[in-house]
Amino acid sequence: MKKFVALVLAVVMMLSLTTVFAEEHEEVTLDCHVIWSAETEANREPFLKTMEEFQAAYPWIKVNLVMDEANAWKDAGETLALSDSLPDVFYWNAGGVLWNLVGSGDILPLNDYLTDDIMSRIEGGTLTDMTFDGKIYQLPYTKACSALYCNTELFDQYGVKIPETWDELIEAVKTFKAAGVTPMTVGGSDQWPTNMYTDIINLRFAGDAACRACYYKTEGATFKTQDWLDGMNAFKQLIDLGAFPDNAASLTRDESEVAYFAGEIPMYVHGQWFAGSLSAEMQQKVKAVKFPTVEGKDTDNQWMGGAAEGFCVSSYTKHPDEAFILCQFLAEGLSKNGFISGAGLPAWKYDFSAYTDINPVLLQIVEATSTAESFLLWGNTALTGEDATLIGATVYQLLNGEITAEEWCDEMETIFQ
Amino acid sequence: MKRVLSNKWSIAVFVLPTVLFFTYIVIIPIIKTAVYSMLSEIPAIAKEDSHFVGLDNYVTMFTQGKRNAWWNTDLGTSAVINSLKYAASSVFIQLPFAMFIALLLVNGVKGESFYRNIFFIPVVISSVVVSLLWQRIYKDLLPNLYDILGMQMPKGGILANKDTKMWAVFIPVLWQYVGYHMLLMYGALRSISTDIIEAATVDGATGARLAFRIQIPMIKPMLKVCLSFSLIGSFKLFDTPWILLERSNKSLPALSMYIEMFQNHKYSYASAQAMFIVVECLIFTVLLNVLFREKKEKYSLPRKETA
Repeated sequence: MKKFVALVLAVVMMLSLTTVFAEEHEEVTLDCHVIWSAETEANREPFLKTMEEFQAAYPWIKVNLVMDEANAWKDAGETLALSDSLPDVFYWNAGGVLWNLVGSGDILPLNDYLTDDIMSRIEGGTLTDMTFDGKIYQLPYTKACSALYCNTELFDQYGVKIPETWDELIEAVKTFKAAGVTPMTVGGSDQWPTNMYTDIINLRFAGDAACRACYYKTEGATFKTQDWLDGMNAFKQLIDLGAFPDNAASLTRDESEVAYFAGEIPMYVHGQWFAGSLSAEMQQKVKAVKFPTVEGKDTDNQWMGGAAEGFCVSSYTKHPDEAFILCQFLAEGLSKNGFISGAGLPAWKYDFSAYTDINPVLLQIVEATSTAESFLLWGNTALTGEDATLIGATVYQLLNGEITAEEWCDEMETIFQ
Repeated sequence: MKRVLSNKWSIAVFVLPTVLFFTYIVIIPIIKTAVYSMLSEIPAIAKEDSHFVGLDNYVTMFTQGKRNAWWNTDLGTSAVINSLKYAASSVFIQLPFAMFIALLLVNGVKGESFYRNIFFIPVVISSVVVSLLWQRIYKDLLPNLYDILGMQMPKGGILANKDTKMWAVFIPVLWQYVGYHMLLMYGALRSISTDIIEAATVDGATGARLAFRIQIPMIKPMLKVCLSFSLIGSFKLFDTPWILLERSNKSLPALSMYIEMFQNHKYSYASAQAMFIVVECLIFTVLLNVLFREKKEKYSLPRKETA
């Protein structure tokens, strides 16, 4: 009899608990818009895995997920912001483009939700370009940086040393060119891949402070200095030496990378996410190194990048609590899964010692950046609107031989007018 | 029924819903765009900072210096001039080509319906698909062809070289829409009475003479339609160059308008460009009407001789 009563009581308790949970976790549906629609995107699989983990952990929060191409989402997101119809949670860049949405009141500040425990798990310095007036508007999932990816097989085959200085880079370009090998590749038609080259070269020649002043339009900043001119002339020197494919200006990023993946291109400057796109075989051949330094310039340990991407919550979401849960889960989860899969550097602290098969190229970048003096957001991310369009269009014109380095400096100077 | 249709009030009642709908979806947006084009910024983003600036945005379109792709006098080219070049290419290359095919088909070719369908296939394919298809031709097939022929590819590739990119965009547009114009002309040519053609043939008009003296003059109304579509299509051209050319290319009015609006967020300036395109299309439509206006010939009966 006692057993029967105990069983009945247990069943009643279970049922009441179910009711309590049902009341506490009323089903909520959130709209979420991210990039990585292309199958080749290194972050796609880790993101989808993170989303699966989220659905398992929070079954009462349903997510309407939309995936898009990065440029298409940037344009669409800015248009949606005008009509206050951004999704509850969405991918966005940090820096100037984030500031645009913050300025128009489209983004929810997350300070009230960020407990000390959560804050202690975020890597230091990663919130710099996501914080305005002390308010945090975005959570990062990766630290970005650009690196020089060298195909060691080709370097060994042609007896070329992996360049550490600008002069060695020029020598390497000349040697490969003489051997009939196209030394580098770039997707000029998409414009931003060319910025990867010009930004790091300008950083080496002009330095973090001067570049930062121009990209953030600080008073007194100017592009019309000898350092900027030297930087752009150095890039022009690469073009004139035939460092890039003849049709580089008409190639998209994806098209330009085909030859690199096929092992035909020895050098490529791109973001750390490129490491995640390398096949297991290529990961053994490729060595990611710091972009060559310039003699006489104190810019050796300066890097392009920083925490430039993350997740935001729209200020007009009807479910801010659940939206924050999703935003934080995606940022932290993608940080972990992305690093394990080799797509990016983590922006959240996590013990990775149990994982022994992490992408070796990514580990090289982690090692190389461990002594980084500073990280600077890329020009097309730090600048906004017409200025961002201009820096993309003018580096394209330089690549395509339509303007000179001097004209580039003159054109960019107009952003201060 | 006749009584109802002769009553103007009845006509007004029946037409009213359509007029209201047309006003709502066409007239009001155009008026709104015209108003936006004369503001410093559109109210949705500028809120209280939005103020009236008159024709400033229109003046900027034609006076801004080198950075202004809309009217870039420094480089001797502009979005407007480029669109006029496309319009000229359409009128003088695309339409004559369509007419040539239509005349060939209508004057008796074996497998007439087969060829008609073949030429029409590109029209039913999405512009995006056509553009991607041509992208592969320019980037994969043509370089191989240049290699085989031992020729040097244009610097930067067909789609980046400033001497070739305009034609690289025009060719897919020509390829896609020539079948459309051909079908319109073919339909019009087919509707010419066979009596007239036979009479002309009996009088010795064949081949080119039959085409230029009888068939083409008799389809003038359809030629006007084709010309309108062709010109307006050139002024509004967007999808093909957007896919084929590099990002942020502003070398055509619709491309420039899109970039100013959705990338640079200069909504009022982009509205001024949109108004320019609307007015440009209207002007050319009116010009075509004037050009194709039929002369009204007056006939009068001979006076009776009075004794």
